[in-house]
Amino acid sequence: MPPLVRLYVRTAFVYFVAGFLLLALMALDGWLEFSRWLGAAYLSQLHLLVVGWITQLSIGVAYWMFPRFLKEDNPRPRGSDTLAWVVYICLNAGLVLRLAAEPFYRMTGHSWLAALVALSGVLQAVAAVGFGLLIWARIRPLE
Amino acid sequence: MPTMTRAYIKASILYLILGAVLGALLLINGWLPLGSAVYYVKPAHVQFLIVGWLTQLILGVAWWLFPPMAFRLRGQDYPHGQAQRGSEPLFWVTFALLNAGVLLRALGEPLHARTGSGFFGGLIALSSLCLLAAAITLVVNMWARVRELGRGKT
Repeated sequence: MPPLVRLYVRTAFVYFVAGFLLLALMALDGWLEFSRWLGAAYLSQLHLLVVGWITQLSIGVAYWMFPRFLKEDNPRPRGSDTLAWVVYICLNAGLVLRLAAEPFYRMTGHSWLAALVALSGVLQAVAAVGFGLLIWARIRPLE
Repeated sequence: MPTMTRAYIKASILYLILGAVLGALLLINGWLPLGSAVYYVKPAHVQFLIVGWLTQLILGVAWWLFPPMAFRLRGQDYPHGQAQRGSEPLFWVTFALLNAGVLLRALGEPLHARTGSGFFGGLIALSSLCLLAAAITLVVNMWARVRELGRGKT
């Protein structure tokens, strides 16, 4: 398993734990009501699991296991390392930014927080497009 | 990677991009209002990412990597090529039903919410039936491949 794939998978594991930790805290909060932040973090928590965990794991495993390029076609068997890093950074920057900004935006309604949340969406969309570009040519028959 | 798998995975990546772009539009709309129509894309965002992207990717990879059928136990010759994976036409039917279900729902939900028309309510019901039929045809086709590896084993 190449280093970047390990990073994708381990980061996905972290979101997996973080997503269910937040879920547990939100359940406790529904009972004890100790944090307004947790009540406002519902959508971010959902995205930690759907994007941070399942989608990131899928991207990492696809980057690892999909048919590699032949040496004569591309010197990099898995495609551009730079693009794979861009996808990783944009995906995770988008997720963390959303988790940091969205609950406070829901609590306060500040416009600059809305701008950060919008930026987090753009970063994740860039990651999706980047992944499409990275993997598309590797969706091919095995040689 | 078989043809069917390539079709499933390429479609799933298109849904990932579409779903992420719709999600970005929803978030941008919270900062810079883009119009009331943006609110109606939320069901499409969810459908594209959960069914179109994740589910379809999983099905495509399962078709590729699950153990082949164990025909010998039924007294049949061991098939070669795609026949080892089950019925390819049935897997195409699953593909068509799954994508029809996703697209009809993505279209029907916002139009129904906006107009309240019974016709679009019918489209949503039809999309659910398509997704149900996709799930049933997939399970019928793949059930026998969920087994221990090895040609003679079940």
